[in-house]
This record gives sequence, structure tokens and C-alpha cells, in this order.
Amino acid sequence: MAISKDPVKPSDTLIHKTTNLMQNGLNSHAFGEYGSPNALGDARWTDELILATWYMAETGKVPDDLNYKTGKSGGGFDRLDFKFLSESEWVADPESIVTSIPLNRRNDHRKQLTPSIPIYGGGMSYGSVSVNVMMARAKNAEKWNTYMSTGEGGYPLDLYAHKDHVITQVATGYFGVEEKTIQAAPIVEFKYAQGAKPGLGGHLLASKAGDEVAKMRGSVPFVSLFSPFPFHSTYSVEDHSKHIDWIETVNPDALIAVKVSTPHDVDMVAVGSYYAGAHIIHLDGSYGGTGAAPEIAKKNIAMPIELALPKVHKFLIKEGVRDKITLIASGGVRTADDIAKAIALGADGVVLGTSDLVAMGCTRCGNCEGGPSGRGCPWGLTTTDVELQEWVQQDWAVERLDNYYTAVMWRIKDILSKLGLNDVKELVGRTDLLRYTAGED
Amino acid sequence: MQALEHQGGEAMASGSGGGRALTMSEFASRARERADNYHRYHIEALDTPDRQPLPNRFLVKVGKVGLAKFIISELFQYWGKWDVITSRPCTYGVFSGPVGGFSPRPHLCVGCLRCTVQHPEFTTVEHNPERAAMGDRFLSQKLIETIDEEARKGSVPVRGQGYRGRFGGPGWDGMFTDMSEIVRPSRDGIHGRELIGTSVDIGGKPMRLQFDSDGDLVGEGPRMLTIQVPFLFDAPPKMVASPLLTRIWKGAAESVDTLAMFPAETVRKLAIAGHNVVPIIPVSEASTAGGFGNGTQLVELDSWDEAAFTTACTAAPDVIVGVRLDFDAGWQAKLTEMVDSGVTVIHLVADNHGNGDGGRFAMDLIKEAHISLLESGKRDMVTLLGTGGVAAADHLPKAIIVGLDAVGLDLPLLIALQGRPTGDLSQRDTLRIKMPRKLDEEWGIQRLTNLSCSWRDQMLEILGAMGIREVRRLRGEMGRAMWCNQLEEEAFADIEGFVGGEY
Repeated sequence: MAISKDPVKPSDTLIHKTTNLMQNGLNSHAFGEYGSPNALGDARWTDELILATWYMAETGKVPDDLNYKTGKSGGGFDRLDFKFLSESEWVADPESIVTSIPLNRRNDHRKQLTPSIPIYGGGMSYGSVSVNVMMARAKNAEKWNTYMSTGEGGYPLDLYAHKDHVITQVATGYFGVEEKTIQAAPIVEFKYAQGAKPGLGGHLLASKAGDEVAKMRGSVPFVSLFSPFPFHSTYSVEDHSKHIDWIETVNPDALIAVKVSTPHDVDMVAVGSYYAGAHIIHLDGSYGGTGAAPEIAKKNIAMPIELALPKVHKFLIKEGVRDKITLIASGGVRTADDIAKAIALGADGVVLGTSDLVAMGCTRCGNCEGGPSGRGCPWGLTTTDVELQEWVQQDWAVERLDNYYTAVMWRIKDILSKLGLNDVKELVGRTDLLRYTAGED
Repeated sequence: MQALEHQGGEAMASGSGGGRALTMSEFASRARERADNYHRYHIEALDTPDRQPLPNRFLVKVGKVGLAKFIISELFQYWGKWDVITSRPCTYGVFSGPVGGFSPRPHLCVGCLRCTVQHPEFTTVEHNPERAAMGDRFLSQKLIETIDEEARKGSVPVRGQGYRGRFGGPGWDGMFTDMSEIVRPSRDGIHGRELIGTSVDIGGKPMRLQFDSDGDLVGEGPRMLTIQVPFLFDAPPKMVASPLLTRIWKGAAESVDTLAMFPAETVRKLAIAGHNVVPIIPVSEASTAGGFGNGTQLVELDSWDEAAFTTACTAAPDVIVGVRLDFDAGWQAKLTEMVDSGVTVIHLVADNHGNGDGGRFAMDLIKEAHISLLESGKRDMVTLLGTGGVAAADHLPKAIIVGLDAVGLDLPLLIALQGRPTGDLSQRDTLRIKMPRKLDEEWGIQRLTNLSCSWRDQMLEILGAMGIREVRRLRGEMGRAMWCNQLEEEAFADIEGFVGGEY
């Protein structure tokens, strides 16, 4: 594999030319000028879904002629639909619908954080993505009064300007975890596992661990970096509780989020996390995104989020603690419709990751881990290659994300309106508002 | 084994000194010798390129007129800025040949689509229909591509982005394996995987050992052999069997330390009997079971016949005699009869698609066999092998979870050797598969060794995630599996329109 150890930053003219061509190309495809590229899409992210996401990222509106709601996976979110009311019963002014959610339900001494939307950004580390991508997501989070997670790769200095909207992730390799990054965070997220590779830890391939990434992670350039699994200091809920105490000592105000995968006993894990002191339990389903994961893990280990959510939601109710913890879902949540369905299945809110990347031009070619070039994403998203990362310009990316979130939030309010709900919190666990359909294979 | 004792003031050890107690220094010396001879099981994977590459994944088409116009306009616009003029929309070299985009190199294309998005007016990237046509309804294009990569590299396929396929699905796809948030095979995190055991025992053992008053064993002890991976190489289909393929099969089995099965006639004709070779004997020739020698540990009768089994056991008293059992109608009664007759190795066989009795899938049939033996209290007296319907790395642990001790492979091995299948592949006797002309022994052995390495490593991923230390503990561990249809029942039962039971 060719490793680009001496990459060259492109000239301004080349950046201008390339980004223009890429951005114009994304738009012309989104508007149907050249039809759908034959090789675009798969069962979960169909060509229409990708093009629709590009359209929303360009216009801030949902398209008329593309399916922006579902994929063709033949199950889960793709088989669920809403039982909309007749038009006369819709909420008259969808703009008045409340979409904020409280994250601290323990009523303890810590901050009450109330993002304006039931969405925040999932962890994508510096190294797995470029600084430009990280910054665009942070700026967008600030715009929408929500959050984004650092992932496990450190805290680039530029992020401090947006620290009130940046979640610091503490994962098993402790890459980039410092006292100051804990103190800066409104929320500290413990990553126990990731849906796409549950129980397997993390892996940044050597080709993506360049000079800057290695510096940030306290490592040697171009050496593979593993986050082991699990936390070597955690054998039990009590040990987990000690972790939380440690964070409280460093930052008494921060809320604690716990990100776990979806094993058989995910309901017990959720309750355990609550009793250990977590404010947020974040379930990451098996069909979630990743920068690099064994193919065998993505498909086979742990369960999809659609199947885990009702299990956990109902168990938390049974245990009498559902109203004391925030339940967040991720892993295969692609669209506004998926978001609303996840909430109806029991989540309070969701975390997005892949959708953000698609909005910024990702075609889901799957070469994030390096690919045959060893340089990472050819679109400049999941790479720190000095040349390639320039293809994503921050201002453009922020605008794309802002537009995309505008369209997503419009659709969420549209759904709530048609269900006659004035507040997204009223949708939580309302499986009676869903219908299982024949689906579209 | 070695209980320490004092004798004449010197520390002594007993149990391995041929009746005489060992001195401490002798004991230490022998222990050192054993330790020095120990080697951790390892499969040596080597990059082994394709001999006949698969059809390209993508077709890249460039309109020459459009490209020429583009280049001319760039020359005018960026004259002197050669970095800009010579820049390409591909980081993989598709347009970096001698004449650039005028003669693209589609074998390098990974489908990122940057070229067609940037230059839609003259560039298209399409799926290659020739590639899409590979395989059949079970052994899909995706499985063939994956096996090919595994045999080429010997590593675990790793990709970016999440899962792309259908939600759950029929057969093995309807099963998810469990994981544990905190329990691991070792406390060394990722490095703990190398401590996971993948060896399995094949044969039978009494449910208890009995000793006489002198402490000597009464009756038979366990009669088992051990292979280092929970899979073996079942006999190649007749249509493609050849002396060369036989040597590759056998060589790879030796390299991996597993078993290779062949018709008895082939074993005799090519004089390949050995401790890694399992002759499959027609019941009509059961009396020849003892004639293979050269370390043969296991033979199999090709079907169930009680008299033939007795004959084979008599003819080969030092060899384990297994019996193959097709999943045809009435297999359950035969299974019971076989166990009652003392068969200790039962090789269950479904077709290549994993279908058996009444069109039921191997997963359900194996589960039924395993549970019936459990219920009769005889499961630990026999080894269950199974062939048919295993065509991907994830099928392997799943087949073990539903009850197999080890899995027989045949079709995936042919794909690893770059056999090109056509038509329906379900039946071994009629399947059509064209083997490459440039097949040679060394290359073939390494390809199968690589596939074995990749599948074993992927099994370690599954076991590691579960926190299971050895594959023997995975057998029948259905509590660590999750079935999609059951989870859907649990999750969606109260949702209008949900019926369930689709898979």
C-alpha cells in the first residue's frame, strides 16, 4: 500500500478548480441533471437517498421527486411508517412545534443542557476525519444549539472556540484525553463500544495516522493505532461508577453520556449505566457507520438499533427510571423519518454521523480506512492527507450541514404536525403511531 | 499431573518419570524442554495474487471528445499551472495511464464516483454486469468477491462505512451474534485474541472414566483426534476432482493442521493416506476400512448401514469410523440409530445451498440434531460435523452456535482457487465450475491456507467480542445468538400490521 508520507498541499488555484468541479457536480446530480450514477447506492443508502441528501444539503428543502425517507433494506426503519391523522387534525402551525430535549433528567447539581433539536453529532475522531470536517460539524452544532462529539482522537485547538458544543469522548485508548479537554466539555462521553464493530475496539490504520494525528494522539507517525477493548479498568457497574466519579472530580458540571453497543443484555447495560450515574445512555446499533471495521462485525455482531430501542425503553420504564435518563439512538439512523421512528420506538433523540458525511458529498464508497491509495477518502472527508483534505472547505461544509439540518428539521416538524403532536417529547415510545408495512425490496 | 513431594530432604515430582519420582532438577529440565518445544498455533498467510482476476467491479467510460474539449479549455484557462492542468479526479490511478483518461484503467476503480460527479458530461462509472452475474442465489457475487480477497490476502476484510446489505434476512443472515461490553477472553484487550483456542476434538468419549482397585483404567478411554481449526476440507465435487486438486487439498490441510476428505478410491489410487487424510468409504467396501495405514486417524462411511459400520470398526480397530448422514427425509431416526449403535463421529450433509429435508435450511436442521442429542443425554458422546451451506466466514461460528463441532468446507475452497461457477450450484453432483488453467500446487495450497487464516481470524473476532476463550465453548451456545425474527417479535409486536415469521 502506498503511504503518502510526503504529501503536498495543493495550490490555491488547484483547490479552487477541484472544489468547484466537485461542488458543481454534486449539485447537478442532486438536481437530476445527469440522472443517478449507475454505481451509486446500496440497500441501506439507496441512490435516491444519497441524491436526496445532497439536494437537501444544497437547498435546505426536501426534494419532490426523490425518496428522502427510506432505503430498501427490507426491514427495520424501512418497513415502518407513520399513522398520520387526517389533514384537519394536523398542527396548524408546524413552526410552533417544540423540538428541544432536556439531557439532564437526574435533577442533580450539574448543568441542564437543552439542545434545540433532538439530534447531536456522533463521534468521528481527528484522524478518521479531517480538521475541516470536524470544524464544520462543530460550527453547525453551534448554529443549531446542539453538540458534536470529538470521537477518540484528540481535541484540535480550533475546536476550543466552539467548546460549549463539543462533547469530549473518553474511549479505551484514551487518545487525546487530557484534563483540559475534560474541563472544556459540557458533556463527557464514555465510549464502551461502537455499533459497527462491537467488542472489537478501535483501529486507525497506519496510513491515516500522519504527523499531526500522531502528535495529537501522543504517538509515532504512520503507526497503526489500536483502542483496545474493553476499558481495562472496568469490570463492573461499580468500576464504571468510579469512571464517572473521576470525570466529576475534573469537571463537576459535565453531563455523562455512555455509549454502548446493542448486545443481548443491552437493557441491563442501560439500567446499570443509570445506576452508575450516567445522564445519557447512547445506544449504537449494529448497522452504524465507521471509518474502518471488519466486514464480519458490521453485519453479524449485536442487533440493529430498531430492535434494541423498544427493549431498552420498555425495560427502563419497568425499572422506574425511564424519566430519569436520556436515551439516545444511533447506528443506521439516516433520515428525518428514521429519526422520528427512532423516537417513536423509545429514544429521546438521535445521533447522526454518516448523514453528515453524505451531506458533505460522501458517496459511501467505503474507502475511509485508506483504500488502495492508502490516503483515505478521495472526497477529502475521512482523511488527513494534506492534499485531499483541502477538497472540503469549511465554509462550504458548514453551509451544507446547515441546509441539511434545516430540511431534516422541516420534515420532523412535518411528521409531528401530521401526527397532531406539539412537542417532539410527546412522540417518545409512541409505537401506536407507527404502522408496519410491506416494505419496498 | 506433577504433584510435588519431599523425599530425603529433596523436592521431588511424580507422575511423569516412568514410575520413579523425578528430582526437582529433572522435573525442571523436562518442564523447560516442554516449554521450549511449545509453539503457539499460527497460520502463515502470504499475499497470493489472483491467477485470473475477477471481472472488474466497475466499467469506466470516458467520452473522448468531451475529454479533449475539457483539456483544451483547461490549457487556455490554466496555461503554465501544470499542477492544475495535470490534476486528475482519481486518487487510484484510473486516469494515470500513458494517455490518461483517453484509456482509463477500470481495474483500479474502487467506485468512489468522484470522476463521474466532477465530470458527468463525459465520464460514467457503472457496475460491471459480468461481475454481477457471478454466482447463484446462495453463493452471491458478494460472497465470491469476499472469498477471493480472503484467499488472496489471508487477512480479515476491513472497510470503511457501515453495513450495506438487507436488514436481517433468511438463513444465517437471520442470526446475530452476541457481544459483551466488559467481558473479554483476556484482560489484554485486542491482544487477547491470540489466546483464544480454536482447536476441536473429533471422536467419542465415555461419559465417565472407570478404574479398577489398582487404579488402572477399565474399559475404553476417549478416542479422539484434535484439529487446530473448527473446519475441515470436505471432498471436492466429482466434476472437478483431479490429482492436482487432491494434492492442494491435502497440502493445505497439512499446512493448517486440519483434515482433508477424499473418496477412498482416490486415497488408494494416489497413495495419499496420512494423518490429515480422511478416506470416504462406500458402505459396500466397509471391510477395507483398515487398509489405509500411514497414520490414518479417521475414515468415514458414505452413508448409514449398521452392518457396514460394525464391519468397518472390526476391520479398523485403531481408527475412528465416522458416518455421513444426508439431511434427507427420515434423517432423525437414522441419527438416533447411529448414536445407539455407537457411532461417535456423525457428518451431517446438506446441499451446497444448505438445504435439506423438506427444503429446510441447515441452520434449523443442525439445531434440531443438536437438541435431540442433548435431550437424549448423548450429545457429548458424539462429534457432529456438517457440510453444506457454509460459504462465508460468518457462517462458520453460526453453524457451531447451532450445534456443530466442526464444519466441512468444499465450495468456498473452489472459489478460493478461483473456480468460476456457472448456473445453479446447489447440487454437488451437477454443479458446473471451471477451474483456472494456471492452477499449481504451491499457489493453490497458499490460497487455501490464506482462506483458512482469514476465516480463523474472523472467528476470533466473533469469539473475542463475545468474551469466549475457546471455540469448543461456542458449540450449541444458542443463548449467545440472537435471531432477527424473535427480536422483531419482541420489538414490533405491538405495532399495527406486524405479522412476523418472515424468515
